[in-house]
Amino acid sequence: MKSRSLIAAFLMIAFTSIGVFAVTKKSTIRVDGMKCSKCSGSVEKALKATPGVEKVEISLDRKEAVVEYDDAKVTEAKLREVINGTGFKAVEEKSGSQQ
Amino acid sequence: MIRIIAAVLVLFVPVIASAQDSRPAQLTFKDIQGRYIRLSDYRGKVVLINFWATWCPPCRAEIPDLIRLQREYGSRGLQVIGVTYPPQKLAEVRRFVRKAKMNYPVGLGTKQTKLLFTPSESLPLTIVISTDGTIRDIIEGILLPEEFQQKIKPLLK
Repeated sequence: MKSRSLIAAFLMIAFTSIGVFAVTKKSTIRVDGMKCSKCSGSVEKALKATPGVEKVEISLDRKEAVVEYDDAKVTEAKLREVINGTGFKAVEEKSGSQQ
Repeated sequence: MIRIIAAVLVLFVPVIASAQDSRPAQLTFKDIQGRYIRLSDYRGKVVLINFWATWCPPCRAEIPDLIRLQREYGSRGLQVIGVTYPPQKLAEVRRFVRKAKMNYPVGLGTKQTKLLFTPSESLPLTIVISTDGTIRDIIEGILLPEEFQQKIKPLLK
């Protein structure tokens, strides 16, 4: 009986924690046409200004943006939309992971 | 060839400008239509000098927004001025301006023109000149809606 109560309490805490603790997700987004160092700053700037985005790294060599974000606040689809809004094109998802 | 280079240089002749907030920024140049544009003529207006290039994706992306801002806030004292940088061919710029239906003056710039305001190599790059003619802000990269709301809109009538 006591162990059942403990399990129930544990499950309750676990379920409620899902909504309380944000999960940081990391996505690598390929950005087509991003070859100019003078103008790639706009991608970083626009992504950093997006609510929920925690960290942005731009690689001109690999033509990709590595974004860490709170997936409770922003989706990868929205990140792609933001990139597209800077005149470049977010093409394909290379990877996605949780931290 | 030398004549062409000379013609381009004459087209855009920055006279003097100051990147200090305390002194009014001054700039005189011919736009792509051959009309003289003097920054001092816009005293009393909030001027956005937008450095851009036809080949720069973020520059192209923000041009419709600048056209809209000029249309919506022109009556409240906003004046956008486009300056191409790095140097570009006049015909190419004219073609782009016509196609994009840009509703504000555009001239050809040089590195010296940009250096009058900032050494930054970011593109696009927007210099915010307040109504008294002094440099109020330098916005690197695409102009975000929240930047307009926070840094430019409060300066308008």
